[in-house]
Amino acid sequence: MNNLEAKFEDLPSDYAALGGRGMTSTIVAKEVPPTCNPLGIHNKIVFAPGIVTGTAAPSSGRLSVGGKSPLTGGIKEANAGTPFAQMLARMRIGAIIVEGKHQGDDYYLLKVTMDGGEFIKANKWSGKGLYGVYKDLSKEFGSKVGICGVGIAAELLGAMSGVCFNDPEGLPSRYAGRGGLGAVMASKGLKFIIVDETGAPGVEIADQEVFKVGIKKLRDALTTHDVTKPGGALNSYGTAVLVNIINEAGGLPQRNFSAGRDERAEKVSGEAKAEEIKKRGGTRPHYCNPGCIIQCSEIWVKPGNKDPVGVLEYESVWALGPNSGIYNLDDIGELNRACNDLGCDTIEAGDTIAVAMEGGLVNFGDGKGALKLMDEIRKKTPTGKILANGTEITGKVLGVTRIPTVKGQGLPAYDPRAIKGIGVTFATTPMGADHTAGYAIAPEILGVGGTLDPMDPKKAEVSRNLQLATAAVDATGYCLFIAFAVLDIPEGLEGVVESLNGVLGTNLTVNDVAPIGKSIIDIELEFNKKAGFTSLHDRLPEMFLEEKLPPHNTVFDVSDSDLDSVF
Amino acid sequence: MSINLKLFGDLRIKAEPNVSGTLPLRLKIDDSEIMWVADILRKFKIEDSEVSHIFVNGRYAGFKKRVKPGDTVSLFPRNMGLLYKWYFKREEDE
Repeated sequence: MNNLEAKFEDLPSDYAALGGRGMTSTIVAKEVPPTCNPLGIHNKIVFAPGIVTGTAAPSSGRLSVGGKSPLTGGIKEANAGTPFAQMLARMRIGAIIVEGKHQGDDYYLLKVTMDGGEFIKANKWSGKGLYGVYKDLSKEFGSKVGICGVGIAAELLGAMSGVCFNDPEGLPSRYAGRGGLGAVMASKGLKFIIVDETGAPGVEIADQEVFKVGIKKLRDALTTHDVTKPGGALNSYGTAVLVNIINEAGGLPQRNFSAGRDERAEKVSGEAKAEEIKKRGGTRPHYCNPGCIIQCSEIWVKPGNKDPVGVLEYESVWALGPNSGIYNLDDIGELNRACNDLGCDTIEAGDTIAVAMEGGLVNFGDGKGALKLMDEIRKKTPTGKILANGTEITGKVLGVTRIPTVKGQGLPAYDPRAIKGIGVTFATTPMGADHTAGYAIAPEILGVGGTLDPMDPKKAEVSRNLQLATAAVDATGYCLFIAFAVLDIPEGLEGVVESLNGVLGTNLTVNDVAPIGKSIIDIELEFNKKAGFTSLHDRLPEMFLEEKLPPHNTVFDVSDSDLDSVF
Repeated sequence: MSINLKLFGDLRIKAEPNVSGTLPLRLKIDDSEIMWVADILRKFKIEDSEVSHIFVNGRYAGFKKRVKPGDTVSLFPRNMGLLYKWYFKREEDE
């Protein structure tokens, strides 16, 4: 970005088998000084599609974004499902690395075609909401381009800013949200990346036969499994099917993690949302990228099928709803719209709003008041600048002592006092509190024993293996949700591995999944160690150790030695 | 004292065929013959395969979990199963 130069380089041979998180974390660890200022000249932001992204493999349109996080101070990978990912892969671009920093106040757009990269001044789109801007970009560059951008929160260099990708309808609703990577991109003077895949050769597949056999096995698994098939849990209700489940389990945090269950959450459940979308004429199910079989996405709209927002994910509904004492889908929908428009991570925004409520800026349950807080960010007021920096900074400024963060990142929608395994993951993942760091890969598949009682504090082994497997999935380009099907249907997992072998020309087996994940996590842990992290950072805040969570009235009682034994 | 039953999603029609809206159906069961979660399923003609998640007093449970008056039993239909089945062992008494 120093001289606004863009060039293609051949992928080094030792990067050839990398994709997604494997690619971003390897590049960041190799090229970014761990102690650098995340918003300074030495940080880089890396975009990498997964190994099978852009192919005919089902549910595989994921893209990883990596860099040093201004929120956590450690390495960060966040990923999203978006057509942008597939286009990049079909252009045979293994990664886009943005480095340096443009001097001055101008913002730029990078347009990437098969002929190269071109920088275009983008000042006319700064200070504007992304819903309008993405429409403008589609008009200017064509409706078939892939769009990546950052919003007003990133212009403030706010650590709650995410990197936003278009969905298939062009809405700014698919986020690599966590960790403030939007601010990293904006800090370089880069506002948008437009990808035009005209003339793209498609993904190179080393062994078509192996690949075809593999994706058929996976497709068969996804279309027959209760969670992933048409009419299954994710397809019918989206991820928000979890609202009622986690609420019943007493693990759905309410009002800044003060309780684990509230009957009012039933009003904002996945069932309620799906019904409302149907009544209003929105879209459900919907895919975040073409070729997805699961189709957990949706388009939430205002009554009368007006003003589409995009998907309201479980974590977003929770963060902007029950965790803020808000039990009204319209308020949640508008808060989600504000996050998308401003370029904010919904989880960090919801945690921040809840802490701000606890700090007295507005009352718990005040949806309209919460929207006014988001407007502070839009207007770039001093309050908005504080809020845009996330949960921890907002809490400290307001004198709040109950700040639910790990390594500076706000906790997602699962209270670790009721679901202790995920608490171990929140504490120990190199990403800061992140549910997706150890999610949805079955313990059984990894040969993990134990009772697996959610209240049992002995979760180190489970969490470690989940994190390793998740890191491996994040490198493939597959959506994490394939895990539910491939757990129960062994041929599905075989299919995943065969599809990777088909693309790469390798001979991987199911047994290679965990070691691949371990190699990625090791790289990330080493970066964090060099950045100054120690085991003392792998802890949950005191509130989770001291305050009993109703209704089970339990605390997070995993010992420090157990936490330290994860890695 | 009764057993409190909460039926979610499509399971609601097992007890209330004309149920509307999306909130869980709440019922109170006074039946001295009900000792296990499985007895509740039988009472409402719910097959095991139609159920994904069961919670008894907020604890993830199985068909062989004892229930008693005052307990809250929550049943989710097959098409609402996510997460718990793949993470946790069902609590059972037999």
